[in-house]
Amino acid sequence: MKRPGLFNEELLYECYQCARCTGSCPAAFAVDGFNPRNILLTYLRLGIEAVITDEKLWCCTTCHVCEDRCPQLIDVADLLCSLMNEAAMQGHIPEKVRASAEMILRTGRALLVSRRVDSIREKLGLKPLPEVPMEEVEGILDQTGMAVLIG
Amino acid sequence: MRYAFFPGCMMPVKYPGHESATRIIAEMLGIELVDMPFSCCSAPTLLRLVHYESWLALAARNLALAEQEGLNILTVCNGCANTLKEAALVLRNDPALKKKVNEVLKPWGKEFTGEIEVKHLLDVLRDDVGVEAIRSKTEKTFSFRIGIHYGCHLFRPPRIMYPDRLSPSKHFLPTQMDEILDATGMNPVQYNRRLLCCGSGLGTKVDLDAANQITREKLSHMADKDVQAICVGCPSCFEQFDRGQVILNRKENCDYKMPVFYITQLLGLAFGVPEEKLGFDQHRTKVTALLDGGGR
Ligand code: SF4
Ligand code: SF4
Repeated sequence: MKRPGLFNEELLYECYQCARCTGSCPAAFAVDGFNPRNILLTYLRLGIEAVITDEKLWCCTTCHVCEDRCPQLIDVADLLCSLMNEAAMQGHIPEKVRASAEMILRTGRALLVSRRVDSIREKLGLKPLPEVPMEEVEGILDQTGMAVLIG
Repeated sequence: MRYAFFPGCMMPVKYPGHESATRIIAEMLGIELVDMPFSCCSAPTLLRLVHYESWLALAARNLALAEQEGLNILTVCNGCANTLKEAALVLRNDPALKKKVNEVLKPWGKEFTGEIEVKHLLDVLRDDVGVEAIRSKTEKTFSFRIGIHYGCHLFRPPRIMYPDRLSPSKHFLPTQMDEILDATGMNPVQYNRRLLCCGSGLGTKVDLDAANQITREKLSHMADKDVQAICVGCPSCFEQFDRGQVILNRKENCDYKMPVFYITQLLGLAFGVPEEKLGFDQHRTKVTALLDGGGR
């Protein structure tokens, strides 16, 4: 399966480096050195290899405010998503992300359903969570290539 | 009103009290929730960033499951709404991609057709139930000042989340929670940065302390407007504000005491549902002082 083009590569050249995306970006506010304007520029100037090894790439909260505010209507968040996909493909995945992805691969859910969870649910009169048919979920993720990536 | 209930991972596992409140409120308002063997949606802050095709296929499986029952999906989490709406839109607009995804689903007897709608609980409450029905169920009025946090994934990007409701400038500003709380006589207040991010997507992936700085910024603007309680429509935003206050108070000498409520918990209080069914004991920032104080 080929990765869908998440963003319009041509459109990236319309960026005039005004940095409105970065001024609006919560992750840039909180993390020194995370800068969507600069990631875009570096990607265009130096290519994908120059931006995917830095773990800071993953600091994007995916809030999409950058896209909301970019005067050139550039989907900065989708550019970052594509770059993260490429980073993951080459083995650069932050540990927390890998662990959560693995949890989905093994259990079909992003969080572990422990006995404690079941007992809290029971006390509230809630039914146990329906089983996720794992053969099916694993089969699908195997087919799409996720199992190889994380497993 | 019959919906395939999409609980997601966070609410049923970390905050079953929110689920309990949601089911009670749904029943009171005549919404039937049908349970199905859904998997993780899967999350827009997680699998979508790691492997887009897998994210899409898993979302398509969930959509196909509801399609088989002919039911629209009701989500209680912004992340699930974001994933399921985007996946449905992308697949509807790209026949070649749809064909590929359906080949992956085929051995499991499933097919994405694109026939159903995905709705966030807030839209079901405001549009399908209607604020008048909510007003008429209200038994108790609470006067505390509420800071509403909508959360990004509910409505961003607007071209994906609310394509039919865009303003001429292609934006969308959510008002559902304001309208719902107004109907119960509660008091939502305006504050700076109201529609911006809580920080959750950074904390879950890389750096929780940095994420809490984003949260702190929002909390400080809420405190400036004397907000007494925070209302959210997403369990991830809930965790970020609820746990964030505890960590910030401990690590950075802050003194935040604004209990966080999932919207159906506030409706539960307004409709006179007994507190023990609303799951307040799972909250880290305690609600007791507010409820025992002037709030009632
Ligand atoms: S807001 Fe748009 S044009 Fe300005 S720097 Fe960011 S991507 Fe470039
Ligand atoms: S989507 Fe990512 S890059 Fe864009 S404003 Fe939000 S955190 Fe920053």
